[in-house]
Amino acid sequence: MKRQSSLVSESVLIEKLTQRDQQAFQWLYDQYSPALYGVVLRIVRDDEQAADLLQDIFVKIWKNLDAYDASKGRLFTWMLNIARNSAIDSLRARKTQPSAAIRTDEENVHIVDRQYNTEQPNPEFIGIQEVVSQLRPERKQLIDLVYFSGYTHEEAAEKLNLPLGTVKTRIRAALQELKQLFK
Amino acid sequence: MNITEYIASGILESYVMGAVSDQERREVECLSSIYPEIRQEIDQLAEALENYALLHSVEPPASVKDKLLKELEFGQPKEIEREPIIRELPTNGPTYRVTWIVAASMGLLLLLFSFYLLSELRTNQKTLAATRTANDALQLEMRQIRDNQSRTEQTLALLRQPGLRTIELRGNEKAPQGDMIVFWNTQTHQVAVDVRSLPSLPADKQYQLWSMVDGKPVDAGVFDATNGTELIQRLNRTVTRAEAFAVTVEKRGGSPIPTTSTLLALSPVNA
Repeated sequence: MKRQSSLVSESVLIEKLTQRDQQAFQWLYDQYSPALYGVVLRIVRDDEQAADLLQDIFVKIWKNLDAYDASKGRLFTWMLNIARNSAIDSLRARKTQPSAAIRTDEENVHIVDRQYNTEQPNPEFIGIQEVVSQLRPERKQLIDLVYFSGYTHEEAAEKLNLPLGTVKTRIRAALQELKQLFK
Repeated sequence: MNITEYIASGILESYVMGAVSDQERREVECLSSIYPEIRQEIDQLAEALENYALLHSVEPPASVKDKLLKELEFGQPKEIEREPIIRELPTNGPTYRVTWIVAASMGLLLLLFSFYLLSELRTNQKTLAATRTANDALQLEMRQIRDNQSRTEQTLALLRQPGLRTIELRGNEKAPQGDMIVFWNTQTHQVAVDVRSLPSLPADKQYQLWSMVDGKPVDAGVFDATNGTELIQRLNRTVTRAEAFAVTVEKRGGSPIPTTSTLLALSPVNA
């Protein structure tokens, strides 16, 4: 899909954001909050927690805008990384709490729902979903493990019972394929 | 390094997935800043992941945006920054002015003090120079006084010696102002003169004293017309007998026979 960021030059947006311009923030939020929320939801699998996290994430983005260095990477990627790291950190913190590990059946059903991609996508993305369905399942699985669950290569190799070298090769192949899909 | 190989190594994919160590991350960032090809590949991979993330978009609850709009601080930073500056100026003004005044007065004081020191130094130098001159003058005067004193003592000693005769010689018509005293000690046979006033002579001439023995003149030594600057001139001749003393003008060093035409004064001893 063509992203709307082309409507506003990223450098102008960043300049307005660093001036703490409310309109710029609203634009940023409207543009990116569904994607960030989707990613967070994909990681923590809990609406309420994801909403709280999303709020924290935007506060973090807002406070750390001065630290963003356009020469090191894209703004959306930077935001995505903040969102992903926050969500993965939060998930890990919860896992260490024993009470959080006990889930009711109802919750499990909800989690299973999420895991098997039964979320309601925005209708405009359906076409893209089809494109992604072309992605080989084992590659998609690896991207999801590493990107959304924050698995290291070693952890992913162990989880999938694959040699480390295969994991590395497959990650590269998956991303190259993804790259081609969005060209 | 081989960039193509580096790109194909899979490290960039791991980097954009956030699955690299801190060291690897720094390495990739460093290389991407050097090699545009690496930077381009990273951007493409990141964009692919961005698009992948976009696929998972879910509209968040509206409450999140409302909370954020309340929680975050917005504003026109330029105006916010300007206001405190405008307000701070007057509060900072007096402090600044006071500091400036204090600094300026300190500087002025220092300047005045240095002028004072400089003038003191000059005065002292002048005083010192004046004192030195005065000291030199005093020393000179002192030396003269000491010389005078020693001469006076010699004169006094001469005059106190027993057997001293004093013969006053008056100038004749050739030297009407001529006035001198001859001191003759009849025991030691020493002769000295005290010239009060005699006409000054050319450099090649000198006065010569003669003692008259049996009517004949005998050389009694030469002297100059010191006219009071020297108290007494001792003459380097001894006079054993004398009936009278006479003074003539002779060539410097004296002559064996008096030039009678230049006789200035003649006075008998037993006047």
